[in-house]
Amino acid sequence: MKPLVSDSPHIRGKRTTRGIMLDVLIALLPATVVGCIYFGGAAVASIAISIAAAVVSEVVFRLIKREKIKDILAKFDLTSVVTGLLLALTLPPQAPWYVPLLSSVFAVVVVKMLFGGTGKNIVNPAITGRVFAFIAFQSVMVSGWIAPSIGAISPVAATGASGAVSTGATELTSMLGGNELSVSLLDLFLGTGVAGSIGETCKLALLIGGVYLVVRRVIKWEYPVIYIVVTGLVASAIGKDIGLFLPSILSGGLFLGAIFMATDYVTSPHTRAANWIYMALLGVVTAALRAATKIEVVSFAILLMNFFVPLFNAYLRPRVFGAPSFAAKLKSKLAAAREKRSAAGKEDAQ
Amino acid sequence: MTGQRFKQISLDGLLRNNPTFRLVLGTCPTLALSTAAFNGIGMGLAVTFILICSNVLISLLRKAIPDAVRIPAFVIIIATFVTIVRMVLDKFIPSLYESMGVYLPLIVVNCIILGRAESFASKNKVLDSALDGLFTGLGFTCALTLLGMIREVLGSGSLFGLQLWDFKIGFFSSSAGAFFVYGMSIALFNHIYAKVENKIRSKNFAVRIMPSPDLADPQNTLAEDAEAIAARTQSGADAVEAKERGSADAKSNGGED
Repeated sequence: MKPLVSDSPHIRGKRTTRGIMLDVLIALLPATVVGCIYFGGAAVASIAISIAAAVVSEVVFRLIKREKIKDILAKFDLTSVVTGLLLALTLPPQAPWYVPLLSSVFAVVVVKMLFGGTGKNIVNPAITGRVFAFIAFQSVMVSGWIAPSIGAISPVAATGASGAVSTGATELTSMLGGNELSVSLLDLFLGTGVAGSIGETCKLALLIGGVYLVVRRVIKWEYPVIYIVVTGLVASAIGKDIGLFLPSILSGGLFLGAIFMATDYVTSPHTRAANWIYMALLGVVTAALRAATKIEVVSFAILLMNFFVPLFNAYLRPRVFGAPSFAAKLKSKLAAAREKRSAAGKEDAQ
Repeated sequence: MTGQRFKQISLDGLLRNNPTFRLVLGTCPTLALSTAAFNGIGMGLAVTFILICSNVLISLLRKAIPDAVRIPAFVIIIATFVTIVRMVLDKFIPSLYESMGVYLPLIVVNCIILGRAESFASKNKVLDSALDGLFTGLGFTCALTLLGMIREVLGSGSLFGLQLWDFKIGFFSSSAGAFFVYGMSIALFNHIYAKVENKIRSKNFAVRIMPSPDLADPQNTLAEDAEAIAARTQSGADAVEAKERGSADAKSNGGED
């Protein structure tokens, strides 16, 4: 038998970028389906346009760079599909066709490909695509919201008939404006009768996707939980009312952002401890900006915090294999200090 | 002044040392006033006028101004002309004066003007300095107008105030869009610039492939010549070039015979 000589690493995991992205797509399936049912054909068209634009612009960009078709197909890792889908899920269902198209092209070409492709982008493409849409088509993004076809299960009596609730503004914006909630918390959780982006209204579907990702070990369960809980706590603290906890985490795009966007590998810190701090800070920034601007800011908060990720990676490095852990280092330091003190004490006694 | 010198100064100002795309000077008015093409032209022409005047005056006074206080002296000269332009604009084109706002008085500290004063006018003759001011200013004007046109068409759907269509992308009117368009334009300009420069250089310094004895033989047909040379050169691109050159050489050989 001839010995096989090769460089390290000798054991490779079976995980590939394409596999993980496929998992993310599967996890997004419930939210996508529910969004399509709630908002109908317009939502389906929006999602299709967005994904198609993302994939086509990536392929065209590579063709312009004179890569061969065979290489492009071999290297195709589904990230642009995920970007397109995620972006579409954050857009209003009634957005005209050019909004998903242009934002998707911007997200893939400017945010991802110009910085060197998958894994080289400094901010999350889908989030930046949404921010682009928000700045570029402000009229659509601020007042283009419609209530879904399925009305609220238990509308609060004061606002009257279901279906007429919250046209022109999402539940979150009206709540931040100081109004009472027009739907119950259960409706907020299920997204029934709640106006919002295609994929953000049904928290149940997003949670199912999140659980799938945790089970498949694509993300760690505590990351989105920290983000969501901190946002709720800070929002309650700002409003001085613990009753604000549930409404503020159940409305808006917090679940979508926390589960699928803040946990993006490329734009989150490397180590677990750094991620905890990162998620907690995201929560603080989100709640504070929401209170200050009175609009939904999850996308802006994530974009803002993305820029701090290199800082996290510079200062909170992963422990080198074999080096003492942080706790061990602290222990030895404390022991040294104690010895010093006792030695000094002895000297004093003498 | 020789034609050579004229060509050098004009090309420097417009392309080689284009203040916006190559030197990245005067970025503040560039970003702020490229929202519309007309604003860009207005700002560019104002800067051009001040640049010519200040360059001429500084060039005239270049032996009188002591080296130690040259910067304050330059600033005073520039500020004089800026004040004149402000008064004239306020009187005759009030709409442009309004839209330029604080960026008009800020021309005083515009680094293009100070930069040209320091690096050119204070060392060169009057006519050269005036030309340098003219072409640098025109380079700035062209760049600003170009950026303004791009941003106006995409951001407000109009061109020089003329409404083209209703489709608007607000992003391009905002400051984020200004940075985006500016960055993209710099990248594109330098990409094209490098390409053109490479082409000129390779034209000037092309290595001539000497026809070998057997190729110079008039018995050989043109196609065979070209193939023989192509086979000798390695890469495909070189082969094509060589083919052309080879056939040209062969032709001239044939003519002589």
